[in-house]
Amino acid sequence: MSDFARQQADFQRGILTGDDTVLAEILDSPREKRETLYGVYRYAYGSRLVEALRNDHELLHSYLGDETFDEMGHAYVKARPSEHPNLRWFSQGLPEFLRSAEPYCDHPVLADLAALEKALNDAFDAAEGELLDLTAMAAFAPEQWNDLTFRPHPSAARLDLSTNASAVWMALKNNETPPDAATLEEPARILVWRQDTTPMFRELPAEEAMMWDEAANGIPFGVLCEMLATYDDPDGAAARGAGYLHGWITSATLTAVSAD
Amino acid sequence: MNVASRLPNSPAAVERPLQSDKPPFLGFGLGLRAQHYDEILGGNPPIDWFEVISENYMLPGGQPLRVLDRICERYPVVMHGVSLSIASTAPPNFEYLQGLKDLARRVEPKWISDHLCWTGVHGKNLHDLLPIPYTSEALDHVVSRVQLVQDFLGRAIVLENVSTYVQFNNSEMTEWEFLAELSRRSGCWLLFDINNVYVSAFNHGYDPMTFLNGIPADRVVQFHMAGHSHMGTHIIDTHDHPVCEDVWDLYVAAIKRFGRVSTMIERDDNIPPLDELVLEVNRTREIAKKVLPPLGKQAG
Repeated sequence: MSDFARQQADFQRGILTGDDTVLAEILDSPREKRETLYGVYRYAYGSRLVEALRNDHELLHSYLGDETFDEMGHAYVKARPSEHPNLRWFSQGLPEFLRSAEPYCDHPVLADLAALEKALNDAFDAAEGELLDLTAMAAFAPEQWNDLTFRPHPSAARLDLSTNASAVWMALKNNETPPDAATLEEPARILVWRQDTTPMFRELPAEEAMMWDEAANGIPFGVLCEMLATYDDPDGAAARGAGYLHGWITSATLTAVSAD
Repeated sequence: MNVASRLPNSPAAVERPLQSDKPPFLGFGLGLRAQHYDEILGGNPPIDWFEVISENYMLPGGQPLRVLDRICERYPVVMHGVSLSIASTAPPNFEYLQGLKDLARRVEPKWISDHLCWTGVHGKNLHDLLPIPYTSEALDHVVSRVQLVQDFLGRAIVLENVSTYVQFNNSEMTEWEFLAELSRRSGCWLLFDINNVYVSAFNHGYDPMTFLNGIPADRVVQFHMAGHSHMGTHIIDTHDHPVCEDVWDLYVAAIKRFGRVSTMIERDDNIPPLDELVLEVNRTREIAKKVLPPLGKQAG
């Protein structure tokens, strides 16, 4: 390893772990000791990354308050140093961290709230895609409908929340007192997407969530209707399927349909 | 046939300063920030050009890129990155470089800039503009990296002096000697951050004019003007205040030495309304008008 490479490794280790080896190669300034000057980099590292977490998780920050959020943020920074050149992606692992790390994993609403904010952030700058409109659907003859398959818009994503995090999110967004955190008997099935430039989400009924998931997997409409028939009134399955499909198209969550 | 004899020399072995036309003078600009999107697109602020943070638009899609497309239709744009990590001893991140190249294809920037610094090694990114020792070993390394990046991007890049808080005891030359040599040997252009010169000069106890006079005048294509936070014994480059009077004075000296250089106000935190920053942009313009002869009468 070259001197230059070794010095960079020492400099970085000093920031990440508090090791002082590199101080032997740093000069005092005319007005200040080297420990303080090097400390500018040490302080900036943690504070910049925690600030990035605050920006990406505004409502989790509101929910926890400054002190608890920053403590959690520094724990995340320590556990998962950034490995991506773009700060945009630093917070991607936060939901998983909150789901697995003490003491946060004892409060599952935190991981769910972070997961919802992450999904909305991801929808905000997801790739562009064509939007399927109802006139495109009218081009298909009735006998083709059983074979129709659909492609979700790149911004659309599904997540299941085990807690009432969506109600907490809504209250915080409206500057209201959030409800007490609660674990749900059945997970809340959430669809997130971007309408024009605005990220949106809504909770789906169980059978609509099932139909979305399977449609996203490429299952054709005819089979989707057979699957819907196992959830509720079999005779109304096709109408319910068409209704869900209409809702997806008008809310800009689908990008293509194909009869192949 | 000896295969090795047919291979080109390694980049480190050959000095290949990229000969490129000096980028054009763009006038007096501002760093594009999301807080001002609506005002800029809804009005017609008297700003000649915008500098965009490259990483803010290295995204799959959505509103930031849509806004950027509209800005590019109306203004000259330059791309300014924070993650090139040109001085890192770690292998270059070619995925990042490809992302930068893809964005440049979309933006068609007047130039692409980043900083003379490193941001991490061993797979980590500290998201900071970290200092280097000014040694011949470091210079050789950075020259070869600049050449590689310029070859990859197919254009000369522009590198900025950063604010530094520490100096290394193994430095063999000054920062300005390092920058001058880097530019001469690699062909890169220089972004002269006047606030950073002021900050580093105070922190390390030298005269900012010595720095300014040590930079080759014909290599500077852009000025940055920004504010900082004074901690008494040292200054931190926070970009969260208006430009201070000492830095305005240094700007006058910089114009006298470097001539007509594209200049911009850089504000990254505690971001005020657009009007307030336009006043600072206007001040850069007015000072240049006073100090420089009118266009057409300038020597050379």
